[in-house]
Amino acid sequence: MAARKPVWNDWCPGCGNFGILRAEELAIRELGLDPKKVVVVSGIGCHGKLPMFLHNSLPVGGVYVLHGRSIAVATGIKLANPSLEVIVNVGDGDGLGIGMGHFVHLGRRNIDMTVLVHDNGVYALTKGQASPTLHRGEKTKSLPKPNIMDAVNPIAVALAAGYTFVARGYAYDVPHLKELIKAAIKHRGSAFIDILQPCPTYNDVNTKEWYDKRIYKLETTGWDPVVRKEEEAQKKIEQALLKSYEWGEKIPIGIFYQNELVPTFDDRITMNIPNYKDFYPAKQPIEVNGISNVKLDDLLKAKRI
Amino acid sequence: MTRLVWMIGGAQGAGVDTSATIFGNAVAKAGYYLFGSREYYSNIKGRHSYFEVVISEKPVRSLSSYTNILATFDAESVFQHFTEVRDYLIYDIGVENTSVDLVKSMEPEMAEQVKDELKKNNLGFTIKDVLQYLKNRGVKVIGLNYAELMKKIADTLKVPLSVVDRAKNMITVGASYGLLGLKFDYLKAAIASAFSNEFFVKLNTLAAELGYNAVPNVYNLKEYKIEKPRIQVDGNTLSALGKIAGGLRFQTYYPITPAADESVYIEANQNVDIITEGNELRKAGIVVLQTEDELAAINAAVGAALTGVRAATATSGPGFSLMVEGISYAGMNEVPVVITYYMRGAPATGMPTRSGQADLKFALNAGHGEFPRIVIASGDHIEIFWDAIWALNLAEKYQTPVIHLIEKTLAHSYSVFDEDELKNKPYVIERGKIVKPTSEYFNRFEITEDGISPRAFLGDAGMYYSGEEHNEEGHTTENSINRMKMYEKRMKKLETADREIPEEQRVNIAGDLDSDIVLLTWGSPKGAVLEAMEELQKEGIKTMMVQVKMFNPYPARLMKKLLSGKSKIIAVENNYQAQGAEVLAEKTGIFATNFILKWTGRPITREEVIEGVKKIVQNNERRVVAYGGA
Repeated sequence: MAARKPVWNDWCPGCGNFGILRAEELAIRELGLDPKKVVVVSGIGCHGKLPMFLHNSLPVGGVYVLHGRSIAVATGIKLANPSLEVIVNVGDGDGLGIGMGHFVHLGRRNIDMTVLVHDNGVYALTKGQASPTLHRGEKTKSLPKPNIMDAVNPIAVALAAGYTFVARGYAYDVPHLKELIKAAIKHRGSAFIDILQPCPTYNDVNTKEWYDKRIYKLETTGWDPVVRKEEEAQKKIEQALLKSYEWGEKIPIGIFYQNELVPTFDDRITMNIPNYKDFYPAKQPIEVNGISNVKLDDLLKAKRI
Repeated sequence: MTRLVWMIGGAQGAGVDTSATIFGNAVAKAGYYLFGSREYYSNIKGRHSYFEVVISEKPVRSLSSYTNILATFDAESVFQHFTEVRDYLIYDIGVENTSVDLVKSMEPEMAEQVKDELKKNNLGFTIKDVLQYLKNRGVKVIGLNYAELMKKIADTLKVPLSVVDRAKNMITVGASYGLLGLKFDYLKAAIASAFSNEFFVKLNTLAAELGYNAVPNVYNLKEYKIEKPRIQVDGNTLSALGKIAGGLRFQTYYPITPAADESVYIEANQNVDIITEGNELRKAGIVVLQTEDELAAINAAVGAALTGVRAATATSGPGFSLMVEGISYAGMNEVPVVITYYMRGAPATGMPTRSGQADLKFALNAGHGEFPRIVIASGDHIEIFWDAIWALNLAEKYQTPVIHLIEKTLAHSYSVFDEDELKNKPYVIERGKIVKPTSEYFNRFEITEDGISPRAFLGDAGMYYSGEEHNEEGHTTENSINRMKMYEKRMKKLETADREIPEEQRVNIAGDLDSDIVLLTWGSPKGAVLEAMEELQKEGIKTMMVQVKMFNPYPARLMKKLLSGKSKIIAVENNYQAQGAEVLAEKTGIFATNFILKWTGRPITREEVIEGVKKIVQNNERRVVAYGGA
């Protein structure tokens, strides 16, 4: 498809990012999305190169931004042009450390886009410091001492922040992750997937073997994450929150919670801008023959003495 | 020509702002032009605030160090401003025995200054002593019995005194307006347009009327017929209006003084009228996003700009500090984004509600690495409007961040001027090189002769942006030759801008061009400089003004032409370092010879410029520091 010379993928052999890249590509293809209408945003960290590698096989829009700011940039893209499908990749340090503010506030807005956290417990590109998801007491190989900070619980934070689709996937189970990503993209509202991703180079604690022993799929246990009536929302959030603390011998993956009854941000903007959905900013002309099409008359009249 | 200065003071929350807006509106209805400025603390209720309004038959551009009328309804305002009154003080007789030490809201430094001044004159520390001080200087004092007047209002309208208390300020307005000798009808109309609630209209009108009838007509101001519509607008609103006219469709902000009012105005008026190509009127919605912080504000604006939308943000120093990394990203990715930068008292939290010009060099240098950025600074209200449109055009034409500097002084002051000033030119839109890609992948960063690449928008084709050094495709590369060429391509845009933007548009020149004395300024001191020059000329001191409007790309050739061989180059700035003069030196090798500087956070006045120039020209002083204003 691509006529251009592919960019060489320089992730470490065995990196979990390969699985996430593959699942993302398959999800976009299987949903039949027009690649140019898909914008894949990423921050800084190993995950950050994902849109560039994805670009090898799909002519998507790729926006590789500053450390921690991918949700902020994606917010601007989506609100200015809601016809675009926006998929945000963040690292665990990128999204839950330096970018935690934006992560929380996206939940408050319920903007219709997808956030994928590449969660490997370490800052790999700077040689393996502890990320916000590394648990207390763990000592990955570059740490001089065991980690003395507690891990943030991304699922619980997302639920508390107001995300209306909250899931966890596993980078080495591509078919399962692909289905989660498809569900997240289809979901109307802010969707979040915490993707467990072993780092073969720097995380020698949470390895593939470590995860393989512990992971199980929620859907195989009769778990029902979906809110179908507004009255159910509270109960379903509570059960999901409780579930999010299951970490140790058993680690659940799958959809923890989904609620499409909450108005999305474009619904809320439409309350103030009635024609927003079909006449959003990117669709609006601003000039005719080089002259602004704006009429200020009424605004100026209101200021007359 | 009339130049009458009116000042009202009172506790924050007591209606000082409303009073000044209504008073100004009434005087403007009688045919006068105004410049009004608000000074207040970072406080919601209780601290002293004041509003100064300068009245003239001709457009007014500056504030004064004195006031002809001081209108007060509390003790503190009298203590704060009595040394500035020239003609009349209106005060509450109920506070006559109040002493300085009883005014708890007054800062101890100010209380000491007041006491020192009274002590020097062998007076005590009460309002009565201040009245004596004023009488000794020929200032007339008018005591109003507010308690009695308020009771009268309460009885007439049959409402409790606590309700009438909210209209106390309007007695003051009525009385001070009465001194002018203008028809009460104008004040009545101004009140009617300020309140939507019928009872408040009635209450405030009655209060104003009682004040009006309690004083004689002393100034006997003439009425002037208003030939063409005039408007009364503040700086925040003018920036908002300029952005709206200039095709802004996406604005982000995090609440901060003195920038927030701009975004709030845009949001309140976000469904704007546009004329379609088929000549039909329709509404276009501007998305206004209140973000979680300024990091999000700049980055969300960048995201919106990538979809082809004119996007901007507005902030002040602390917020701009947080935006710096995002501006560097916008520079690297050649994103057209406008940052309206309202300067306030700094560093750190500084004096959030006061003004300053200390961030010029920060704006010029903010962001790691070298990248082209355009920096413009507005000198008055009308400039703000046109510069906001200009900024949006420059951003798209040169595909780079544009920083528009405005100071609190202009943001929170208003002018009355002819509406035509905002309509006498078409709102030209220049979007630069925009293309519709025909292939699947689009090379966003094509290397071109002038450094400007054709631009397409997200959604048009596959394309790639990266904060890392990149090739024409946008993909990361650290290759030396690519680095050299791509870096140069970006930097060339500044050379292109420097070549294309006429230098005459980047500098305002006024006064006697042959004069050997140049007043070199930028931003809000422009008005004080221009009006000081008129007065200086009357005294035989001929001067010229050079006001820099664009600091990057700097109009170096024109500045050299204007300033070479001048014996006195006097930098007039609201900062300590004379940063505008420092930039001049950096760009042209020409140094300012003298300085009139003020960094108290209060605007520089016409009289301070006059005094400063005289001290420099007549007494040969090198640097004059001004510090007037409470």
